[in-house]
Amino acid sequence: MLAVDLVGDTVRAKNGSMVAYEGRMSFKKLTGGGEGLRGMVTRRLTGEQMELMEVKGEGTCYFADRAGDINLVTLNGERLHVESGNLLCVDGSLHTGTTFTGLRGAAQGNGLFTTTVEGTGTAALTSDGPAVVLRVTPRFPLRVDPGAYVAHTGNLRQEFQTGVNFRTLVGEGSGEAFQMSFEGDGLVYVQPSERNTIGGDL
Amino acid sequence: MPFRQINSKVVEAQVAPGRRLFSLRGAMIAYKGEVAFTPNVQGGQGGVGSMIGRRLAGEATPLMTVEVPPGSGGPGEAPYGTVLFGHGGHHVEVIDLTGDTLHVEADRLLAFDGTLEQGTVFLGSQGGVMGVVRGQMTGQGLFTTTLSGHGSVAVMAHGGVIRLPITPGRPVHVDPQAYVAHRGQVTNKLSTALGWRDMVGRGSGEAFQLELSGQGEVFVQASEEKL
Repeated sequence: MLAVDLVGDTVRAKNGSMVAYEGRMSFKKLTGGGEGLRGMVTRRLTGEQMELMEVKGEGTCYFADRAGDINLVTLNGERLHVESGNLLCVDGSLHTGTTFTGLRGAAQGNGLFTTTVEGTGTAALTSDGPAVVLRVTPRFPLRVDPGAYVAHTGNLRQEFQTGVNFRTLVGEGSGEAFQMSFEGDGLVYVQPSERNTIGGDL
Repeated sequence: MPFRQINSKVVEAQVAPGRRLFSLRGAMIAYKGEVAFTPNVQGGQGGVGSMIGRRLAGEATPLMTVEVPPGSGGPGEAPYGTVLFGHGGHHVEVIDLTGDTLHVEADRLLAFDGTLEQGTVFLGSQGGVMGVVRGQMTGQGLFTTTLSGHGSVAVMAHGGVIRLPITPGRPVHVDPQAYVAHRGQVTNKLSTALGWRDMVGRGSGEAFQLELSGQGEVFVQASEEKL
């Protein structure tokens, strides 16, 4: 569960994720996630649906989503890539948008696009089980199961890898036919649970 | 007979001879010593009258009585029992009552002390029609269960539980779906923040809130799903 102390400022949170509050709060749905008309159209087209509400007031507000664990990410001008379903709450000062991820999105079951968060402030992510943060350095690339991937920050290049072979085709696959490979310098958030993905069944 | 939290999902109860406790039927996961589990047809305390009351109110959950049968244990050694309870991987919160009253849904009860007094209240008795509406919103139905006295209660919730104190002049607002239980002298009312946005399907998803005021404590789960 996430507690946010507000003194007249605003945060943006996933629609309907407030579980309790003390003090005075107002909730307003942001059409198009507060990204303006262009952002709204982009989200509609990309299918990266994200419903955000603006929370404003004075007091303490508590957020939670499906008993997920909370991870706080502090951003100092860098860009965070996150699955829209894992984004719980962001500072009012952060900007959200969408980017194209290529083929990996399809195997991940999240479509071809992902959500980005940019600016200076804090973002709260949810994960199914406590997430681990893995560091990627140029010498040590990282491979992640698409179903367990939550988010990443930093200067990372991602590639999609397949391990599909004869065994997979006859239904004797190890269940690890697809992987995401990260190269460069940055951090990757991984959850100890796998979403249902097309790749996970193979 | 306090419950001891083993981890966030399992509690341990010490059963002493002559003292019994009630638990959700089938929630025992392990035990040590001589312990007898008997299904409790009446769904808790009281006689047939209480049973009928609970059945009518829809607050009858299958319970079992857990006790150490008299005369068990070897010669010269005192009978004892230790029981572990857990159910469905739900988080368990232990609430110790010291003479106050806990309001909770019967299906959230994992185990409770046999010394606690069990009752059923009609939600319409607080706020009339709005009380009934409130019950529907929180999934409580028309009735809810009360436990009062001195003893411990183990309550299940989906996700971890936080306790928020309620003091006069500082009411707490809770999402009806995330509400678990409350204790103390608390009045609750359903407050609506319905605007034109909700009417056109553009609501923030927080149109209904449960406002709790008075003196006490409210338990909130980290999820908007029912058990």
